Amino acid sequence: MAGAIAGTVLSTLNQGIVEPYIEQAIALENQKSSMNGEMLNPLEFDNYRLWQKGGEIAAGTILGTSYGALFGIVFAYSRTSIPGSSEMKKALILAGIMLSVLFIVPGIKYPANPPAVGDPETINYRQSLYITYLAISGFSAIGLAFLFRKLGQRQAKKAIVPAIYAGIMLVAYFAMPPNPDAITTPMDLVISFRIASIFTISVFWGLLGVILGALWDKLRPHETAKVSA
Amino acid sequence: MVIMLTNTNDTNSRQITKDRTGVPKKAVAILIAVLAFGVFMVGFDQGEALGMSVPADGSGDAPGTNWSHEFYHDMRHAAGFPCH
Repeated sequence: MAGAIAGTVLSTLNQGIVEPYIEQAIALENQKSSMNGEMLNPLEFDNYRLWQKGGEIAAGTILGTSYGALFGIVFAYSRTSIPGSSEMKKALILAGIMLSVLFIVPGIKYPANPPAVGDPETINYRQSLYITYLAISGFSAIGLAFLFRKLGQRQAKKAIVPAIYAGIMLVAYFAMPPNPDAITTPMDLVISFRIASIFTISVFWGLLGVILGALWDKLRPHETAKVSA
Repeated sequence: MVIMLTNTNDTNSRQITKDRTGVPKKAVAILIAVLAFGVFMVGFDQGEALGMSVPADGSGDAPGTNWSHEFYHDMRHAAGFPCH
């Protein structure tokens, strides 16, 4: 439920914050197409874009529910190892870690791009690169979370574990091939789009942490039975 | 599992709270399925899942059109998934 709410908020925010850049990039794409002799029906295209914007709202709810499911599993297993005086504080710390592992770190190697940047011919290759890098980041984090717990009360683990993660991702960064598509779209548009994307995705993870933490504090699902005798 | 016994004002009444750290395996399996389905559909599907369906955009295109790519297009870009 927390994920569905945060995801719907994400897609609503995107309509105002990210969409203007997507529209600009699509306008450039269409300009290119018309220079190549392709004709677009403006009315049909407007209806099509309206349909896609509706799709973005649905996508936000679905993606939010999916990330919320992952967040719930990870939180249930790790909450006793996360510092924090309340479940909400713990959930916010975990949300920050998951934002980094699943979005910020993969984005350093393969950043988000607006339309008009990616070549349709390379989509499968780019997807395989992204999934591989995401998997390296995600599975390293899971493995290191077990190590963090195994190291018990040792204070040094707070420096050692993030350092190992950084080392793994640094090796992966240099070992993995770059995005094969050259960027021909104006860089100010690309950078503005990336900043907007980082902002809304960060809001999403923050909101997910707040909602799940607040619900956990209220419902306390780890307490299975309260029996008055 | 942690069991806490708490004395209340009434000396004959005690509250027992069982604090469980385990997570039901069935719940985990369901949540992983939700995660895999949602991320694949929104982030990666290129017509594999719904390629046989007629597009819902009213375009009248033949089945096999990459419906989910088009429908989730804007979120794919905004959430950092590879797209074009």
